[in-house]
Amino acid sequence: MDIKTMKMQDVKTRVYDAIEKAKQLQPKLNAVVTFVDVEEQLEALKQIPSDAPLYGIPVVLKDNVNTKGILTTASSRILSNYIPVYDAAICEKLKANGAIIIAKASMDELGMGGTNLSAYSGPVHNPYDTTRISGGSSGGSAVLCAAGVAPLTIGTDTGDSIRKPAAYNGVIGVKPTYGRISRYGIIPYASSLDHVGYFTTTVADAAAALHVLAGRDDRDMTTGNEPVPAYESLINDDIHGKRIAVIDNIIEAVKEEAIVQSFESLLTKLEERGAVIEHVRLNDELLSVLLPTYFIIANAEATANHSNLDGIRFGVREAGESVEEVMINSRTKGFSSNIRKRFVIGSYSLFVENQDKLFRKAQKVRRLIVNEVKAVLDQYDMILTTAAPTIAPHPEDSVDEALSDTYLIAENHMIIGNFTGYPCMTMPCGFVSDMPIGIHMMAKPYCEQELFNIGSAIEAETGLKGITAEVKA
Amino acid sequence: MNYETVIGIEIHCELKTKTKMFSGAPVSFGAVANSCVNEIDLGHPGTMPCVNKDAVRLAVMAATALHCEIDPLVKFDRKNYYYSDLPKGFQITQQFHPIGSGGYVEIETDAGKKQIRLNRIHMEEDTAKQFHNEEGTLIDFNRAGTPLVEIVSEADMRSGQEAAAYVEKLRSILNYLGVSDVKMEEGSMRCDVNISLREAGSTEFGVKTEIKNLNSIANISKAVDYEVARQSEILNAGGTIVQETRRFDEASKATVSMRKKEGNVDYKYFPEPNILPIRLDAEWIADIQAHLPELPDQRKARYMSEYCLNDYDASVLVNNRELAEFYDEVCRHTKEYKTAANWTIVELTAALNKSNRKLEDHPCDPKHLADMIQMIKSGEISSKQAKTVFEEILQGKDPQSVVEEKGMKQMSDGAELLKLVNEVLDNNPKSIEDFKNGKDRAVGFLVGQVMKASKGTANPAMTNQLIKQELAKR
Amino acid sequence: MDKEYFQTLAKQLMFHISEEEAEQLQEEFVILQKQIALLERIDTENVKEMVYPFEAETAFLREDEITHTISREAALSNAQAVMAGHVHVPKVVK
Repeated sequence: MDIKTMKMQDVKTRVYDAIEKAKQLQPKLNAVVTFVDVEEQLEALKQIPSDAPLYGIPVVLKDNVNTKGILTTASSRILSNYIPVYDAAICEKLKANGAIIIAKASMDELGMGGTNLSAYSGPVHNPYDTTRISGGSSGGSAVLCAAGVAPLTIGTDTGDSIRKPAAYNGVIGVKPTYGRISRYGIIPYASSLDHVGYFTTTVADAAAALHVLAGRDDRDMTTGNEPVPAYESLINDDIHGKRIAVIDNIIEAVKEEAIVQSFESLLTKLEERGAVIEHVRLNDELLSVLLPTYFIIANAEATANHSNLDGIRFGVREAGESVEEVMINSRTKGFSSNIRKRFVIGSYSLFVENQDKLFRKAQKVRRLIVNEVKAVLDQYDMILTTAAPTIAPHPEDSVDEALSDTYLIAENHMIIGNFTGYPCMTMPCGFVSDMPIGIHMMAKPYCEQELFNIGSAIEAETGLKGITAEVKA
Repeated sequence: MNYETVIGIEIHCELKTKTKMFSGAPVSFGAVANSCVNEIDLGHPGTMPCVNKDAVRLAVMAATALHCEIDPLVKFDRKNYYYSDLPKGFQITQQFHPIGSGGYVEIETDAGKKQIRLNRIHMEEDTAKQFHNEEGTLIDFNRAGTPLVEIVSEADMRSGQEAAAYVEKLRSILNYLGVSDVKMEEGSMRCDVNISLREAGSTEFGVKTEIKNLNSIANISKAVDYEVARQSEILNAGGTIVQETRRFDEASKATVSMRKKEGNVDYKYFPEPNILPIRLDAEWIADIQAHLPELPDQRKARYMSEYCLNDYDASVLVNNRELAEFYDEVCRHTKEYKTAANWTIVELTAALNKSNRKLEDHPCDPKHLADMIQMIKSGEISSKQAKTVFEEILQGKDPQSVVEEKGMKQMSDGAELLKLVNEVLDNNPKSIEDFKNGKDRAVGFLVGQVMKASKGTANPAMTNQLIKQELAKR
Repeated sequence: MDKEYFQTLAKQLMFHISEEEAEQLQEEFVILQKQIALLERIDTENVKEMVYPFEAETAFLREDEITHTISREAALSNAQAVMAGHVHVPKVVK
């Protein structure tokens, strides 16, 4: 259900219905970590003008968004008792625009995963087929949007963590330009790759949401000063003459025929609408190192970012004879095995003797990759590719964020959007075996409007505007 | 064996800002524990740093005064280590691009003047304060995030005296700049001294020890002297120095081992991704540099050239900024610079020491002292009377009313005094006779009589002169 | 790189890893080394590290004004051991 339709119901009905629905679905989806009491928020809503864009709209936050006085765990054991003393910047924006936060959604532990199988509260299930994964790390948020609980759910995206689950769950996933939305109060993963974004079921809602969430915040000095347009009212689905680049080496790597076919038929439709579609290639050698480049940078930054989790000032503290023992015990028990191993790798790449070969090398390769993509976007309005190369897999077939010998470009190409910081959006473009599949778009920095414009045309062609899943028993 | 002592010093100074280096929480000394913090200082998840403009301004001032080259592109890095006083598990510092590079401090010791080269000055944040007791460790995060500058010298010092002179000079410069409280005893200025010995004439560095916990300048030279003796004893006995951190123990006046250094700790420095490079406005920097307060060396030169003070007096005043400020204020109201210097250096200092008070909380008004000096100059009061007047000035009174209240006004009116002199002469014919018989000390007796008759208010010089003049007439 | 190497490394990061985890890391490092070799093939001569997605310099500095302070209660609210208004930990072993 989109925001406009929802606004036809009265506030209490829509808020309580959303909560009721989430509660009902919880045994099937396991997407919620904490249900938020809405009484106070409904009271506070009286101070908000009723024409506010999100007036009385139920919204879900990923559980790495700090909410003052409300449990925020980042789906990690070490934060499983953490009650923030402050609100994330986006909470303030959401509330000022009338949103009612109804739940905190499950995620991969500390955002460091792509399956949502690593959440402290257990795996999240795909609403189209609960035996399949939701994808991650913003799995809970993706699923709650896809199941029609809330028209807007917040996620974060460090290495496709919004866009992959969006594709798996048949919703729109927006990862705007790096610095477009303040990260202040978002429990980080890797600061130079982290983006705040969200899920919606329509392009119009996606545009409306960005208008609310975007903008300069002095508390996050990486946020940009660029003005925030009224995206929704500016949407124009006339794509005549739009120059769209398709990256062939990515499409060629997609093994699922049905996904390629669906993608190609969409291209034809866009051409019929007047878009200029051209095929380009990116340097294969650079594409082959996307994953190690990402893995090294992300884990190095994550190791430092999570050094504050020691059980001393907040979080779950384990007993110990000395303060050192307290820290060691708290961190050993507080993080899962996988997270600790990744911290070891991240730390390894930061050692003085290794930095040139690993961390700094990865940062240099990152620049080469970004330059490569920038050169394409200098010529085109947008890069269009498939999103995930498969439908949502079963847990045992899923690939998590880990190094692999196999060349998985089709699986991992969306992390280019994190390297560049350019705005990206995934949206559903069809179904394969009754499971949603998606496409991925990337535009020039701060050109989110382009995503919404072309996205609108795509939405018109696919007919998938506002779709949600009927969760079967 | 003849050894050369090699000393390098790292100094951390808290900057005098209203808020923290990266957060808008207040900086305050001595506040109730954990009452001057916000989520950023506590390293809560999701917090991000935001650079304090005034901290940068103060760092630019310090870098300029220390002759450093200033990098107008400010960048920060993470220094990663785990400790209970370090909330984030990393400290934000400037490892790769310090705000100031190079530079020097000129010191003066018995051996003359010497330039101590600086390696760098950079900005960073302070840690929390820990208190250890029987039941464990208590952590107060008020200090966490307080802006610091770290000033790193080259290993240019060769003795405890030079080390102490260096710290003293740096402290004085930072104090004059007003960038820091520089109170070693309160920890707003902290020194780590690295000491090693090497064979005289060698250019290699020996194994060094680092001495922490030096809470006064006097202790710096004591600690260095002790450490030099300790190390040379070991070396002379054919032993080797262990690289370690030591602390100075006040009670035993010795350095004591704190912990061995296991090689060099790898802090895994990398650029702070949450702070973009900040380009300082060239005009802003120029403006800061153009309005630098007078530095101690400049002030000393001014005292010597404008006020004609000697090197010693000028140094004594300049070495104590509060005293120098007081002196400057006195000199705004009198041109008797030398007299003013004497009163400030000798009498005022003695009075302060006696009352165990600091100048800043003393009611003494520099204008009052200047007025008093003018009164001595004009002969209104005697130097002896001035001492009494000064006692009252110290209580905040103005000299004019003190003199009036106490009826101390020196009798300098010629006619009045002449009348009194003649009265005394009339009453002491014997003394006149003595004088005529060549007994000069009769004059002294007569002066004494005049003083007595005037209740001590007679101007002694004038009295002397008048008595001689009148005796001659008789 | 033996298991002890990884266990020491973990200890520096203030946690333990089990024997089994250390073995897994050994295996992962074999893959990592291959990936590093791939990275090494890429010519990055004269390429600068990319630290931020957008590298435009900023002139922004925060004015030195108190923005917000949290109460002492809030500051200590998440600490699991508090004594006399301080966060309490077992004695720090220097």
